[in-house]
Amino acid sequence: MTAAPRPMPPEAEIRAIVGHEFPGGIYTVAHWENFLLTECTGADLLPGGMVHPVVLFHMPILGANTTIGEMFALGQAESDYSIGIESYDWEMFHPLLEEVAYAIAGKVVAAERRVRPDGRPFDRIQFQFTVTGPDGVLAARTTITWHYNRQAHLGMKS
Amino acid sequence: MSLQPGDAIPDWLMESVRPERMRTMAAILRDPNPVHWDRDACDAIGFGKRTINQGPLGLSYMVNMLHAWAGPGCISRLVMTFPKVVLDGDRITARGAITVVREENGLRLADCDIWLEREPGDRPLVGTATVRLPA
Repeated sequence: MTAAPRPMPPEAEIRAIVGHEFPGGIYTVAHWENFLLTECTGADLLPGGMVHPVVLFHMPILGANTTIGEMFALGQAESDYSIGIESYDWEMFHPLLEEVAYAIAGKVVAAERRVRPDGRPFDRIQFQFTVTGPDGVLAARTTITWHYNRQAHLGMKS
Repeated sequence: MSLQPGDAIPDWLMESVRPERMRTMAAILRDPNPVHWDRDACDAIGFGKRTINQGPLGLSYMVNMLHAWAGPGCISRLVMTFPKVVLDGDRITARGAITVVREENGLRLADCDIWLEREPGDRPLVGTATVRLPA
């Protein structure tokens, strides 16, 4: 990912990514990962091998066999700095546990161009991931909505 | 637990947001964005020499608040928006209040407004949560 601004892509190219599916895969949260992750939040480890819910940001992304960088690139981000978060929506049906293999699937569910009141365009792209336990039961679903801000075409500093 | 709309959720305090935790988080997340680990990169885009906390980390403070209140595994849903950034060195309090208490499929649930507060009126993260209440 380069920091140099890219030109604004045609709107049709952005709309065309709706339905794009990531390869998907399996993700197992190891104890060490949960330990470090939980420490970052300032909390103590949860009981019973329960994984801290903050895992619901990166576990679906990496488990779906993609990366944050690839998601930036999919929406043709101008730079790492050009991404804004609209919202994260995390639905938790069952607590996630350490050392359990979860099946992850993910896809782009929405992508459209919008314009702010001040005239600056952005592309609103929404990704949805599912986390399913080995018993086939849906454990969690996450929806990430990012804004891919477009400024380079206006000659604005990125 | 006897609860009603308007009840406050006990605060959860992050005394100082630490840059080393952002660096660990960036590695775990495989997040290439230098704003989370390079103070010079933040300086160059106008934030001064303070790194920007990852959105999920700010969200995790509210998770910790809800767990301390209703127990681990209590969260059914979180929807979070990010109007402002949280920077290293910030003193951040997670706060919340109940908006609705209801029953669904035999479970007692509380819908809540939740937010992070840097100073009174300064809310960098704002959202809602649905919490499963103890029987």
